Amino acid sequence: MKQETVSRRDALKLGALGLAGAMMAATNAMAAAPKETEVKFDEEYDVIVIGSGFAGLAAASKAAERGLKVLILEKMGRVGGNSVINGGAFAVPNNRDQQQFGIKDSADLFIKDALKAGLGINHVEMLEVIGKRAQETFDFAVKCGAKFQTGKKPTWFGGHSVARTIVTENMSGSAIIQPMAAFVEKLPGCKLMTRTKFDDFVMSADGESVVGVAARENYRFNKKLLSDDMENTGGTKKFFKARKGVILASGGFSMDKVYRKLQDPRIAEDQDATNHDGATAGAMLKAFQIGALPVHIDWIQQGPWASPDERGFGVAPLLTQQGLFVLGVAVDVRNGKRFMNEMADRKTRADAEYVILREDPKANPVAIGTEKTFAPQIAHAVEKGLQTGVMKKFDTLDALAANYKIPAAALKETIKVYNETAMAGKEDEFKKQTLKNLKEAPIDMKGPFYAIRLQPKPHHTMGGVKINTKAQVISGNTGKPIPGLFAAGEVTGGTHGASRLGSCAIADCLVFGMVAGENV
Amino acid sequence: MCNKKTLYLVGVFLFFNAMYLIGSEVSKTPPAQEVAVSAELQEKFPLKNHHAKLSLKCADCHEGQGDEPENFQMIGDEGCLSCHKSKQYLADRLKFMDVLHVNPHNSIHDGQRLYCDECHFEHQKSENMCLNCHSNDVKIWMKDTP
Repeated sequence: MKQETVSRRDALKLGALGLAGAMMAATNAMAAAPKETEVKFDEEYDVIVIGSGFAGLAAASKAAERGLKVLILEKMGRVGGNSVINGGAFAVPNNRDQQQFGIKDSADLFIKDALKAGLGINHVEMLEVIGKRAQETFDFAVKCGAKFQTGKKPTWFGGHSVARTIVTENMSGSAIIQPMAAFVEKLPGCKLMTRTKFDDFVMSADGESVVGVAARENYRFNKKLLSDDMENTGGTKKFFKARKGVILASGGFSMDKVYRKLQDPRIAEDQDATNHDGATAGAMLKAFQIGALPVHIDWIQQGPWASPDERGFGVAPLLTQQGLFVLGVAVDVRNGKRFMNEMADRKTRADAEYVILREDPKANPVAIGTEKTFAPQIAHAVEKGLQTGVMKKFDTLDALAANYKIPAAALKETIKVYNETAMAGKEDEFKKQTLKNLKEAPIDMKGPFYAIRLQPKPHHTMGGVKINTKAQVISGNTGKPIPGLFAAGEVTGGTHGASRLGSCAIADCLVFGMVAGENV
Repeated sequence: MCNKKTLYLVGVFLFFNAMYLIGSEVSKTPPAQEVAVSAELQEKFPLKNHHAKLSLKCADCHEGQGDEPENFQMIGDEGCLSCHKSKQYLADRLKFMDVLHVNPHNSIHDGQRLYCDECHFEHQKSENMCLNCHSNDVKIWMKDTP
């Protein structure tokens, strides 16, 4: 094998970082969470929420609606983290639009779908809460000002056995985030502080309960650092008291260059993700430090539909999922052969791409298809993909092969066999489900041919702290809830098991955010 | 007599006036106005062309922050908007970009809520935040961030 799990160079780098951190920062390797007897609180609130994404704002909105004084801390300059760059799709099992359009759904069917994608390791009691309370949560979001496209047939997302997803008015999570932030800020005694970084939980004198937080104001996240959490010493220290509790809603760690690589060494430090730069593990690690139980930490969901030829989520996921993957092929550029079922689940495909990329990090596989593979509703994206250069168009397979340095004869043979197998109505070697009952070749040999290079990108970290159905964080020391500490959203683990279905992130974050806001 | 007296009074008035002016010069001028911008300093903290053309001095932005450039603080949105009016005004100036939903001062994600210095930096190259996710589209949407 080329790489050791943690190479010696990495170990040295981490060691050096730790040393520099210990010298520069206020924190050091052995520091425990401060106790209230050791600090002087600058401000006092009923509830402190860490993070301003879906989970944080749902928690804050619910708590504020109950009349509590809420402070939201957001380390970035932007409000909303990943939620504000998210696509705004919310799976609402058994919703009113489904009933209107005669779609039969139930909480049980939703749980069955989630368990299948999650390989059965999901914490079912959490899914039950989502299944039961999604419609009510949806109504709460609307009450806070969120805008959705309703009165329409719901959207059908991959892995769901029925159409149950409702999309926001502007097809972005911002249609939930912006009004919810405004909803909280309008209420008396509530405040949202950006560029304010949570550093530590402040514990009661006996060390048993969370009674506040230590944070830094005027903090500037620095994406150039290997680990902003460990290295950035900027900002002014402040202590905030939380009379009723602290709600951790700090999100996942798909952009934590150090921590994600420790969990999955296939993810290089410089590898792009679909997430915003601030999606790091720091706040979650502080919860572990005071005893929170970790669950499923190394299950990092990666999008096999992304491209190295653009940053972030981009336009490729649309063009591959609703295009090239459906009727086209993905090939290994070194031998022109297929290597996976292009319509398998996210994990299976990402793993298959990594087998190639571990052997040669530059040999990104290429997805190939023709005009007819694209769903009609993504016509605008086809233009955009070509215009921005993420997707390329070739008149002949020879030109395509030459561009990506694929052996041309082998590529043609692959496509010939693929077409013939599909036309004969036989199952192909990877058991692709979309080739059934085709009356013509899935790849139209007349061309033109469209192609996109592939690169898995970290998308959602399945793991996190363990919470119960009341969003209380469970302690590994006592097996009971840590008094004063709640959590919701991507920072929690277990709910989705091995792999989360599309459009279930908003459902999870808003439902459990609301639950945390009710129980704090 | 009368004229002499008037002249005398005017003289005294002018004298005190002049004293007052000199006195006020000494006490009211913030020392920062006097920061001599050496070539070295200019290289370390270069100004954007459009600001250099206006001959802006350090203290025009770093108002009341002393005379030691190394200790100057960020001026925040309030500082920028003391000349650039308001976020609403800036959003309206780029209103024509709303048609394609690409107005950076009123974006679909953030509305008018972004800090100015999320993208615009005075003493280093500005960085278009949209590029984080729209690396390939931004060149179609807009020019380099001033």
